[in-house]
Amino acid sequence: MAEIPFPLPDLGEGLIEATVLEWLVAVGDQVERNQPLVEVETTKSAVELPSPQAGRVARTYGEPGETINVGEPLIVFEVPDNTAGIVGTVPQEAPARRRVRLTAALDED
Amino acid sequence: MADPRTGSLVEGTDPRLLVEVIEPAGGPDAAALRPVLLLHGFASSSQLNWHDSGWITALTAAGRRVLTVDLPGHGGSAAPQDRDSYRPSRIRADLLQILQDSGVLPLAEGNPASGLDILGYSLGSRLAWEFGATQPELVHRMVLGGPGSGDPLADFDLDAAREAAAGGAPVQDARTAELLRMAQLVPGNDLAALFRMIEAVKEEPFSPEAAVPAMPLLLVAGERDDLAATAPALAALSGQAELVTLPARTHANAVTSRAFKTAAVEFLAR
Repeated sequence: MAEIPFPLPDLGEGLIEATVLEWLVAVGDQVERNQPLVEVETTKSAVELPSPQAGRVARTYGEPGETINVGEPLIVFEVPDNTAGIVGTVPQEAPARRRVRLTAALDED
Repeated sequence: MADPRTGSLVEGTDPRLLVEVIEPAGGPDAAALRPVLLLHGFASSSQLNWHDSGWITALTAAGRRVLTVDLPGHGGSAAPQDRDSYRPSRIRADLLQILQDSGVLPLAEGNPASGLDILGYSLGSRLAWEFGATQPELVHRMVLGGPGSGDPLADFDLDAAREAAAGGAPVQDARTAELLRMAQLVPGNDLAALFRMIEAVKEEPFSPEAAVPAMPLLLVAGERDDLAATAPALAALSGQAELVTLPARTHANAVTSRAFKTAAVEFLAR
């Protein structure tokens, strides 16, 4: 199995952080692509983030009320090794430094 | 179901409230269950409070017919010049008329299509509390969101808000300032009409102990909802209430919560 981290995406409008309101999935859940993962709130609005890929939820970051910066870990998926390469994987060793745009991720594959 | 807009009138005046009926998923034939009346909060609308936040979808997917009403001076309803149109007692009378015109039947044992359920938020919860208390023959169950035993509108500093809205000094009172901010956030809000409603509410402030609804209640409040901090007092008055707290939520963002929707749909299905 391989782990794929998904950092908090750039939510636009120059916002650099978001507050976790409600996790819609739990560790161990098998999620599908586009399934709502979590509701977060910025200074502008509350929004549900869809999953960029299918996989099993290995870890989530942030309890309701906690703030996460754009680019920091939000969730980690566990996927079978042979599918890990399909959706742009970030190597295990490197920190998830790259900003992932939600729309870009959805357009892949 | 009859068109609620062509019914008879309370006190001979058409309040020109926007009423919408949304059929359940599966169409009108699937509507073997009593309808759910949705009452939005102050300075909001059925569109903002219920459509945009996913409530209509959640309820219709659960097989429920939904009835929404925009309060006077809100959303697509008329904004009359006279204060009396905004009185909570007058609104409740208008709601009763709308329900009768919609063909809602008195509750009958063993008939799941009889009566109605009510879902309210904030001011809508206050109106629901009073409506349920005075119309036990109609109301089966109620879900009250962001509820409190106090009355934030009756305590609203109207003079300061009018001055601030006209470009004068900012409002000092924190709750007044927050309500005004929320009211001004929504494009198309008619501030003059909202202020008239506050005048009317000040003449008829919420007094939950005056009449207590006897049917089962679900009270739902954000953990950080200052206005609903007194929800346990309502639960104690009722003696028939379940209380759900939404972690990290405030009065403004509790409405979109999936945990709220799931709890409400489940409670109303009992």
